[in-house]
Amino acid sequence: MTWAAPFKTGLRFSSLMTDDTKSISRGLKQRDPKLLDLLIEQYQYRLFRYLVHLTGNRERAEDFFQETWVRVLERGAQYDGKWKFEAWLFTIARNLVLDWHRRKKPQSLESLSGPEEETSFDVKDEKSATPLETFLNEEQREGIQFSLTKIPVVYREVLVLRFQEEMQLEEIAGVLSTPISTVKSRLYRGLEALRGAIQGGAA
Amino acid sequence: MSNNTHERAQQLIAQRRIEGVSADEQSWLAAHLVECDLCSAVDAQTGAALSVLRSTQIELPRNLASRTQLRVRLRADELNEREPGRRLLWALVAISWMIGVATAPLVWSGFEWVGNEFGLPKVVLISGMALWWLVPGLLVTGAVVIQKEKTQREAE
Repeated sequence: MTWAAPFKTGLRFSSLMTDDTKSISRGLKQRDPKLLDLLIEQYQYRLFRYLVHLTGNRERAEDFFQETWVRVLERGAQYDGKWKFEAWLFTIARNLVLDWHRRKKPQSLESLSGPEEETSFDVKDEKSATPLETFLNEEQREGIQFSLTKIPVVYREVLVLRFQEEMQLEEIAGVLSTPISTVKSRLYRGLEALRGAIQGGAA
Repeated sequence: MSNNTHERAQQLIAQRRIEGVSADEQSWLAAHLVECDLCSAVDAQTGAALSVLRSTQIELPRNLASRTQLRVRLRADELNEREPGRRLLWALVAISWMIGVATAPLVWSGFEWVGNEFGLPKVVLISGMALWWLVPGLLVTGAVVIQKEKTQREAE
């Protein structure tokens, strides 16, 4: 599987980011241990959260988390700094999950995990709630979080990338190696599914 | 109010969050939401769901970063140890190709002599020459594949 060229959409990132991505690219080519330590620290939360949403399982997500960074070390020379590092990182993580699942069962991500085999996410009890969260009561919040686990993984994945990672549609298309139209249609369906799940839960 | 109006409003509610809407669509939607409780509720529910999605916190496993850093460093050490061996392998490949190119006329005349001595057809000579060229490459490819499989097994 090719790790370095998932971005066919021609998306380029702002020049502000270029210096960062170029220095990451140089460091990865040299397998700079300090850079890798820094990147692991910096992206640990976002990568782990993505993997938890993708696999629906914390232990599995942890394994993939470590494996992803080993791959970053091994394939670092393939990162040319033209793309956002996190998009490349998530692509590696996603491909690892897909490879593992294909080895286990020759199926696609669509069947990665049904709601029946998922555990609900271990959600942190937030002390520093935003004003909006304060507005929402705890029951409603838990209800929505549970609803998320009931959404098929293909939709959940794009919802997470779009609304948690705040990635652009083009970036998501790069991570998923799918056309933007597919990303959009999954987002619309995902949003509908999320709303439907909430309504179902409330009924 | 027709069903189409509600459908359009609800489409725009999602579109606004996914890919954005034009200023005209935005003002049409705002006006509709003021007078439609149903769509207004959908809008609020969508907003609330996404807000929670955005703010959902997942607890990190203990020492996840430091354990990963350790594993990555160990792997980096392994790779660095293998690096000289790999460089030597590629150097040998380069040397073997250079020797191959330099000695090609000599080898071909050798093949021709053997062909004349034993009355072999030209196609056999060409195949022999091709094999002569392919063997070093095949050996190196084999060595690389074996090494890769070994690395994969170790990783698993």
